[in-house]
Amino acid sequence: MTQRNVQATANLMARRQFLDQCRLGVGRAALAGLLGGSLPGAARESRAEGKASRILAPKKPHFTGKAKAVIHLFMAGAPSQLELFDYKPMLAKLEGKSLPPSIIGDQRYAFIRSDAAVLGPRFKFTRHGESAAEVSDAAPHFSKIVDDVCLVRSVTTDQFNHAPAQIMLNTGFSQPGRPSLGSWVIYGLGSETENLPAYVVMSSGGGLSGGAALWSSGFLPTVYTGVPFRSSGPPILNVTSPKGVGKQAQDDTYDLVNGLNRQRLADVGDPEIATRIASFEMAARLQTSAPELMDLSNESKETIELYGCKPEKPSFARTCLLARRMVQRGVRFVNIYHQGWDAHSDVKGNVKRNCKTTDQASAALVQDLKRLGMLDETLVVWGGEFGRTPMVETNPALGRARGRDHHPQAFSMWMAGGGFKGGLQHGQTDEFGFHIVDGKVHVYDLQATLLHSLGFDHERLTFRYAGRDFRLTDVHGEVRSELLS
Amino acid sequence: MIESSTLRVTSSFLALLLLATCRSTAAQEIDFNRDVRPILSDRCFRCHGPDRDAREADLRLDQREGLFSDRDGSLAVKPGSPDESDLYERISSEDPDTIMPPIETKKPLSKKEIETLRRWIEQGAKWSQHWAFVRPTKQKLPESGREWATNEIDRFVHDRIVKAGLAPSKRADALTLVRRLHLDLIGLPPTPEVADAWAQRLAPDGQFQIAVWEQLVDELLKSKEYGPRWARRWLDLARYADTNGYEKDRDRSIWPYRDYVIRAINEDMPFDRFAIEQLAGDMLPNATQRQRIATGFHRNTMLNEEGGIDPLEFRFHAMTDRVSTTGTTWLGLTLGCVQCHTHKYDPISQREYYQLMAFLNNADEPYLEIPTDAQKQQRKNNLARAAELQNKLKQAWPADKAAFNDEFEAWWKANRANNRWTVLEASTLKSNLPHLAKQPDGSIFASGDSAKHDTYRISYSNVPRQITAIRLEALPDERLPARGPGMTYYEGTIGDFFLGELKIKADSVERKIADASQSYAKNRYANERNPVSAKLAIDGDLQTGWSVHERQGERHSAVFILAEPIENAKQLEIQLDFGRHFGSALGRFRIAATDADKPPVARDQPFEVEQILDRGDDSLSPENRKRLELAFLMQAKQTKPQAAAIRKLLKRPAVRTTLVMSERPDENRRPTHIHHRGEYLQPKDRVEPGVLDFMHDYEEKAERNRLGFARWLVSKENPLTARVTVNRHWAAFFGRGIVTTQDDLGLQGQPPTHPKLLDWLAVDFMQQGWSLKTLHKTIVMSSTYRQSSRVTEQGLAKDPSNTWWGRAPRFRLEAEVIRDSVLFSSGRLSLKAFGPPVRPPQPAGVTESAYGRPKWNASRGEDRFRRSVYTFAKRTAPFAMFNTFDAPTGESCTARRNQSNTALQALTLLNDVMFVEIAQHLGDAAFVYSDRDAKRAEFIFRRILTRPPSKSERSRLIAFVELQRERIEDGSLDGTKVASTGQANAKERATWTLLARALFALDENITRN
Repeated sequence: MTQRNVQATANLMARRQFLDQCRLGVGRAALAGLLGGSLPGAARESRAEGKASRILAPKKPHFTGKAKAVIHLFMAGAPSQLELFDYKPMLAKLEGKSLPPSIIGDQRYAFIRSDAAVLGPRFKFTRHGESAAEVSDAAPHFSKIVDDVCLVRSVTTDQFNHAPAQIMLNTGFSQPGRPSLGSWVIYGLGSETENLPAYVVMSSGGGLSGGAALWSSGFLPTVYTGVPFRSSGPPILNVTSPKGVGKQAQDDTYDLVNGLNRQRLADVGDPEIATRIASFEMAARLQTSAPELMDLSNESKETIELYGCKPEKPSFARTCLLARRMVQRGVRFVNIYHQGWDAHSDVKGNVKRNCKTTDQASAALVQDLKRLGMLDETLVVWGGEFGRTPMVETNPALGRARGRDHHPQAFSMWMAGGGFKGGLQHGQTDEFGFHIVDGKVHVYDLQATLLHSLGFDHERLTFRYAGRDFRLTDVHGEVRSELLS
Repeated sequence: MIESSTLRVTSSFLALLLLATCRSTAAQEIDFNRDVRPILSDRCFRCHGPDRDAREADLRLDQREGLFSDRDGSLAVKPGSPDESDLYERISSEDPDTIMPPIETKKPLSKKEIETLRRWIEQGAKWSQHWAFVRPTKQKLPESGREWATNEIDRFVHDRIVKAGLAPSKRADALTLVRRLHLDLIGLPPTPEVADAWAQRLAPDGQFQIAVWEQLVDELLKSKEYGPRWARRWLDLARYADTNGYEKDRDRSIWPYRDYVIRAINEDMPFDRFAIEQLAGDMLPNATQRQRIATGFHRNTMLNEEGGIDPLEFRFHAMTDRVSTTGTTWLGLTLGCVQCHTHKYDPISQREYYQLMAFLNNADEPYLEIPTDAQKQQRKNNLARAAELQNKLKQAWPADKAAFNDEFEAWWKANRANNRWTVLEASTLKSNLPHLAKQPDGSIFASGDSAKHDTYRISYSNVPRQITAIRLEALPDERLPARGPGMTYYEGTIGDFFLGELKIKADSVERKIADASQSYAKNRYANERNPVSAKLAIDGDLQTGWSVHERQGERHSAVFILAEPIENAKQLEIQLDFGRHFGSALGRFRIAATDADKPPVARDQPFEVEQILDRGDDSLSPENRKRLELAFLMQAKQTKPQAAAIRKLLKRPAVRTTLVMSERPDENRRPTHIHHRGEYLQPKDRVEPGVLDFMHDYEEKAERNRLGFARWLVSKENPLTARVTVNRHWAAFFGRGIVTTQDDLGLQGQPPTHPKLLDWLAVDFMQQGWSLKTLHKTIVMSSTYRQSSRVTEQGLAKDPSNTWWGRAPRFRLEAEVIRDSVLFSSGRLSLKAFGPPVRPPQPAGVTESAYGRPKWNASRGEDRFRRSVYTFAKRTAPFAMFNTFDAPTGESCTARRNQSNTALQALTLLNDVMFVEIAQHLGDAAFVYSDRDAKRAEFIFRRILTRPPSKSERSRLIAFVELQRERIEDGSLDGTKVASTGQANAKERATWTLLARALFALDENITRN
């Protein structure tokens, strides 16, 4: 920062304080408010207290992005691209034989040996839509939305184990501790809602390899952490009043707490107390808005059927519908985790099972957003943390057969809406589905492109920590503008 | 950055203000540290800096010598003469071939920067070291504030308060001070009675009694509760947790380390010794168990147990974490930056980073068994009892004596064999990675690292004349995980092994193995469908083999029968291949050969019993007969229940363990390499241990190992450690360090707000024998500490962020202090100290998204209400309340926590089951305390906030209580559900429960005032 900027900032500070004193007649400006660019939090001024902590106020990105919200359908465990998106008839021909060592190189594997035999695709592939996308019969609903989807068959990552690869996809680093994509986005864009968390995390399958590191704010302030919604019971931790405490009694409590806190603010004069009061007001709103959000009774029968969910029963489909409702209510970033794609054995059965759970609802989400006119500004991302090997996994000591191991070199993901090109099929792998031969999109490139669609230059969305400006893409990443319309 | 710096938190903002102040007063004088070094660092150091591999023209500009020394008649910088200075000539050159920095770096100097450098040279080119790299000294106290000051701190602080145009705040009232001191020193509030008593003595007639204050300080410093409070902050740095992290995140036992920290802090162990024990306690002469436990500090790294990982890769990650944690904790340097490349700002090369790693990289990482005295006694009793029962086992035989004799004889003859096993003495031991060493009993012990697939090749030059079978004994050893016999330490069954293939070569020719048997075999994975056996270790398939799941710490054996005898071989080689999707080599084993005609079979018998049976004798000595009878009875169906009881007694009970470091022997030093771009897969040059060149020297006589390194770190010559430490402790009392970047005192860190104060404290800390308690006492005795935290208009206008400490800071309490205080207020807190972690209640579903969806079964009894430092810390699903209130997850070293203020915190305080349970307790206590509303209300209020309520507060409380009664009457509030169960007057108790719940949520309760 130049000296002039410093001076200007200092002047601005002084001016704002002065204005604040005049307007409120009290003369206690909230530092947090000043930093957030507005002026809340002075004593006895309920107008100012009404605003939630300004750190989450909406902010402008570097340039106007197409996407305003993101729904990331994280297919944890890593779906088999060879059974879903990337058809390789050559593998059927080679089935039972080993791949040439020159192809495999020095890649390390989790379970198999590199001389393991090849396994042919387990499903038929058919072309669909105007874009004539060749996709698997295992996902019949996906085949209906191919023209709205940007299918990338050439994603690659550096990690070949679940936890590091999942954390890598979300935070740009294989070890826990860095901010997640969702946290960066909220940090950059702020929140559009004061009634719900800006960044929500839902999960429908088993427990996750990456754990809480996947939605952590890392070294960013804690307010940017994703808020997990539970699959059953009250959605947010502690969002319901204790047993026996009805709405009125709870309101009484809020009144007492806020009343005493206001009195304290008047006595002590610390603007932080105003922020505390605001946080209680937001808590009260959350207690009302969360049940409203979860109540699907005003969704039409048609919508419910489109997603294929039962309104009261936790399921992947229900989380997809909830995600749409959240975005409608101003939630900025939604992570939905579906764990279960880790097909070390019986890849065919695995893909079948997981498609049964996810295929219809994933497609429905895109269709629903489209018919509501929300798809342009809502980006849907679908994919796992890496791909699966063209080689078979068989291991009698583990009771495994006809599975596929982890494959970091090439896998497929799709994006819909938010400025991504519908009907595009990007990238190509070799005839074995092993290496990318065209249009490589590294996880860093994907992250840079996602941020771009939201209006950010990934090299400028930074945070100073431990003596250095950190960013999601570290020192890597290139925007793949060919994916964007 | 978006929108300039609008999003940065207070600390950066502060720095801006500081900078603004400094610069506006700086006038024309060029300051090397402020104006020149940043330019040189950014544009020159990449090629003329610390990294000798990248250094051009052998010119180094980050040090005084390089800048000013004569190089064949030319000088980079000639003070006073820009035109005779090469540096200036090159940067001001217009020739694209000679201009510096070179065009291709795309980092040209601006005109202004060139001018700055010119003026610096012109003004005499004064050079100074970065402030934090110069040893601190006690400087003269400022004149100001003599009357206000209690000690030296106040003189430094007063000076700046006055310079900022302010005056110190008045002293806080006695009750506030007593509460503040309690919260700060022991992390708990006082009871109203205690607070009143001290308050009265402190200011009996409005006159503050400093001697009484000192008594209170001393008393709290001596409190047993001081340790838990201050240990927690250290555990943030140590990234302590009770699970392994990553995907599986299995439980680990390292709480003895946590207890070590609490004890050390309570004892006020000198900080230098505290450091040495944690970094190298195992290497101290006659290291005690406690000193070994201390080395858990660097065992708090995470352990990835995901199936199929490369264990050595994650060991490398743990090593980089150890280096950067050491850097943050003791040096306040961001060493993490140097993993991939030489530091851009601080004079630390990538080579030096790996030299530091080499100090820490030569340790094995064993479990340390620390049985309690009771456990030791129990074991002794069990063994005695087992012996007693074994003596009586024959009496348990149900039928007549003759039947016993017949059955025994039959068993004996069936198992008797004429095998003379000769233990082979190996001539050479080879492996891909584990270090193999011969043991006195002829066995081989493996130590050090193991990979996913390990191969041992054992050769013998002294080969028996004839061999018909080979026996492999897998032996337990207390040095192995779970006592072995395997080395598996992650993912699989700890202490198991998996023998994929065994091959026998004689004179370089592989010999066919016809058959194999084993004493015991079990697979961890679906054993029925997927058997394991010694036979599967000779089938040519590495994926199938032999393991001994569930019987760790015991001896097992396998016998391999050769298809054709080996005769007159000169050389024998046995190759063992281990591994599945995790490392699983044998840790201790012995190989024997026999020339028996009849193919032997492995038996599940103790070694001595096997020896008797293998003798093939026709008759038995009474002693041997007794042994064999016992062996027979232990497996006979007639005595099954009795034998089972004995087996149970003999089974080694699980004892407490903890994770420690253990230095490797010289013959098996672990090499350390520089890793290109910090990547595990790119090891380059090997490096030897070495310290940072820019810091103080390593003592010549000291050995270049972990212990020497630890001593170097806490040497009084070290300019950083004392500063980093006092700064961190200052921040604990004032919410912010004197250097706000508590993790970075390097060139990129913020300059100290009070440099002389920081140095004075650092020097004093060392002079006082590195005593933290003395440091704390100095801080809390000061007038600065005792100021009121009231924010005045003038104070806010002139110093909005309280940079100059003209008032006491207000800041939100840490998660653990909030929980402990609330428990204490309610009377619920258990002060039971030490031991395994406990699980307080928390809402269902907190752990549901973690791998395996583990259940959180809340502890029972007082363990629900222990001090927070004892709460089970699960890395991938941290305790919800702590997480909500910014506690770290134990995934990396945390020098400074966030202090956020969120709606989720409000929801936690009001609705979390734990807080409701605590409120019930306080509500009950109030109900019992009095039958008058006013008294009950005041009781709750004071228990929570210490001070009495004001008149208007009082009326709010009463109004609330009356309203709740009405709610209960009209049915909108169900008092029986709110109140604790099992007691009468539920509705009334519910009312007070609700009041307690509300007051717990007050800003004042969760803020240090």
